[in-house]
Formats: sequence, structure tokens, C-alpha cells
Amino acid sequence: MFMLVVPALVYDPAVVYGESMQVIKKENAIRAECNFYSAVKSMVKYADTLEIVSTKGDWYMVKFLDKSGCIHKSALDKTAVKLAKTDGDKHTASKDEVSLAGKGFNPQVEDAYKKKHPELDFNLVTKIEGITVPADKVAKFIKEGGLTEEVTYEEDFKHNGIGCVFIDCLCAVNYVFT
Amino acid sequence: MSLPETAVKTGTAVSKAARPISSEEEYYIGRSVAARILASYKLLDAPAFTAYINLTGQSIAFHSEMPFTFGGYHFAILDTKEVNAFACPGGIIFITKGMIDLAVNEDQLAAILAHEVAHINHKDGLGAIKSSRWTEALTVLGSEAAKQYTPGEVSQLLSVFEGSIDDIVKSMVTNGYSRTQEYAADETAVTYLKASGYNPAALKEVLNAMHSKTAASEGGMMKTHPSADDRIKSVSAKITESQVNDFFKVRSKRFSESYGQFSK
Repeated sequence: MFMLVVPALVYDPAVVYGESMQVIKKENAIRAECNFYSAVKSMVKYADTLEIVSTKGDWYMVKFLDKSGCIHKSALDKTAVKLAKTDGDKHTASKDEVSLAGKGFNPQVEDAYKKKHPELDFNLVTKIEGITVPADKVAKFIKEGGLTEEVTYEEDFKHNGIGCVFIDCLCAVNYVFT
Repeated sequence: MSLPETAVKTGTAVSKAARPISSEEEYYIGRSVAARILASYKLLDAPAFTAYINLTGQSIAFHSEMPFTFGGYHFAILDTKEVNAFACPGGIIFITKGMIDLAVNEDQLAAILAHEVAHINHKDGLGAIKSSRWTEALTVLGSEAAKQYTPGEVSQLLSVFEGSIDDIVKSMVTNGYSRTQEYAADETAVTYLKASGYNPAALKEVLNAMHSKTAASEGGMMKTHPSADDRIKSVSAKITESQVNDFFKVRSKRFSESYGQFSK
């Protein structure tokens, strides 16, 4: 069925469509629709480069390898620059966050801290980090508790102004739990 | 979502340095802070209730300005009667059994967690790091790309790292954040509660419970926070209405069921 109402297309000057941004979280998900509970289409890791297709509220529509979907804006950073890696290769990273990858307080520094403080139990910390709640369980929890499922962005849809080329981009304008 | 100005201002000494601490660095700082907290408190082994706490906390975090941190939000329970909670930089949040015991429903639990999520998003932990430490770190880091550090550089960074962890733990456990930071975290917590669909008045309710419980106590939160009474006065104006919907009973029931199993 194709009875979608195309919302106002608004150019977002903060984002250069077609250009790339980098993942600034340890890992994150590209989802089928622009909400936290939608199906995961692809997992991405720190410093992965994604192509921005459009924006929708606090979400970016992105392409990554052969997948497209939504990722929350807080997971990405922009301004790609070339950096030299120690092995002589070049790689792309963000000027802000990703260019700092591995710098400063990194695993090497943490290891030194662990050696100096053998009384501290970092395995326990890692165990706590392993406590995760699947998105579908959070969705069920929120729905059953009558909590706010998601913000709708009918008036907040932003695109490059040349038409939305991704069907799921349009379908995601109004979404509900299924 | 429109958040109070305080929610987007870090206002930290660290943020005034040549570059702020990156989210990855914040993550490693937070891991060590968590390890330090766990050296003083025992982790409670209650998988089902911990999962419930994480569902509640994540429901709040999704509606914060930072739905994901670098390593994600993780909520854990400390096995102590002390009334307290700790927000480690990067997203690990500890809540004591004593604090949980104060909450009588899910909305009040959510209010406690929302306050801690606000501390993380305000970067209050990082703000405790003396700016001179970070300035020193930056002299070691320079502006080059990522690399393996030499033993000498690691030694210098370790010194800064260790001092930073000490600063944060001292602030979290011993001295507490400033009154301004606590009031701002309460104000932002109300925003998160409203956005999430929880009753924002639950914060006032749990502060009242804290006021009654801690009036005779000098440890835990009483040592590190403004009085519950002052916090109630500060945040009251932000809570304009009590938003209890039909689902409140559903949430209260699942809280009672989870808590009942947990407290056995």
C-alpha cells in the first residue's frame, strides 16, 4: 500500500547529505525504523564510516556497506579527516571523536592501572557491562507500563530536498509498535 | 525533546582544556571508578531484579539527550543498607539496596535512576577532575594519531589517570557534587521522567522518603548530598502536575512483584 503522506522536506544545514560520519560508540545498531526498538539491520562498531542519506528528528538515515536504515544521531560524529596509522596505512576518522580513538586514557593505561591496583576487580566491572536488556524487551516493558514509546517526527522530517529514495525512509515517518 | 540548559552544559573545568575528554576516555575512566566503588561495596547478586532495574533505567535513558553512551548504560545493585547511588562516568550506575528500599513503586525507582543518568549526561564525574591533570595529560598526548605509548608516556598518563580516578571517587563518595550540580540533576531528572511517561512527582515523593529515612543518619547520601528537604524545595517548582495515568497500577504491580522476589 502506498498511501504515505510525505511531510515537509526540510534541508538540514548541519548535515551534508551523501557524506560520511563515523560511529563514536563502542558499538551501535542500524535499525529498520527510526526508533530504539526496531529490528537491527546491521551492527556497527567504533570508527565505522556511514553514509548519511537523510535525517529524521534525532535520527539519521544511513547506508553502510549493503545495508540502509536508521541510527540515532548521538552515535555518530562528522568531519572526516585522514589520519596516519602506526602501520603506515591511512584510515579515515573524525576530527573530533574518532581521531582520538585509542588516545589518552586507553586500554594500555587501564592495564597499567590494573597492574598497580591488583586489589581492584575489573572482571566484575566487565560482568556489569555484560548486563544488557534486549531492545524488544525494553519495548515490551515500555508498552506494558504505558510509558512513552517514541517521539513522532511528522513535523520534524528532514531530507535533502530531492525526494526520498528509500521506501523505509518514508515508512518510518509514523511508526507504532507491532 | 527540550531539555533544561543545565542538561547540555558540561560546565566542567576539564571541558575548558584544549580538548575535552573523549567519550572513549570517559568510558575507561568510568570503568576504573566502578572498580574503585566495587572495592568498597559488595555487588548484589540478584539477576532478575537487576534486569528489572536495567529495563527501568534504559526506559529513562532513551529519553535523555544521550540515549547511548560509548559503552552503554548499565545499572547494578550494591549490597548495603546505606542509602546511596553512584553514577560512574561513561554509564555504569550503582544503586544501593538501601536506596531501593526507599522506593515504593516503579516511578520512584525511575526518579532515582533519572537523577543518576542526569549526572552522567551533565558529566559531573568528569567535572571533578582537576583541570591541571588534564592539562598535563594533553602535553603527553600531543596532537598525533593513535599509537602505542612508550613506557615513559604510559607512566605519565597513569599518574594523571590515577589522580583523575581519585578526584572522581573523592567527589562521589566523600565530598559529593556541588549543591548546584545536585539541583541541576534533579531538574533534569524531572525532564527525563516527563519525557519517559513516568510521574515527575515521584522524584518529590522519593526525596520525602529520603528525608524521613536519612534525617537520623549521617552516612551515605546525607554526607554527599544537600538535604532532601532543600532538594524538594529546589525542584518543586519544576513539578507542575502529578501525572498518574491508568498504567501507574501496572507499573506499581510489576515493581512489587520484582521487589518482592528481590527482597526475600
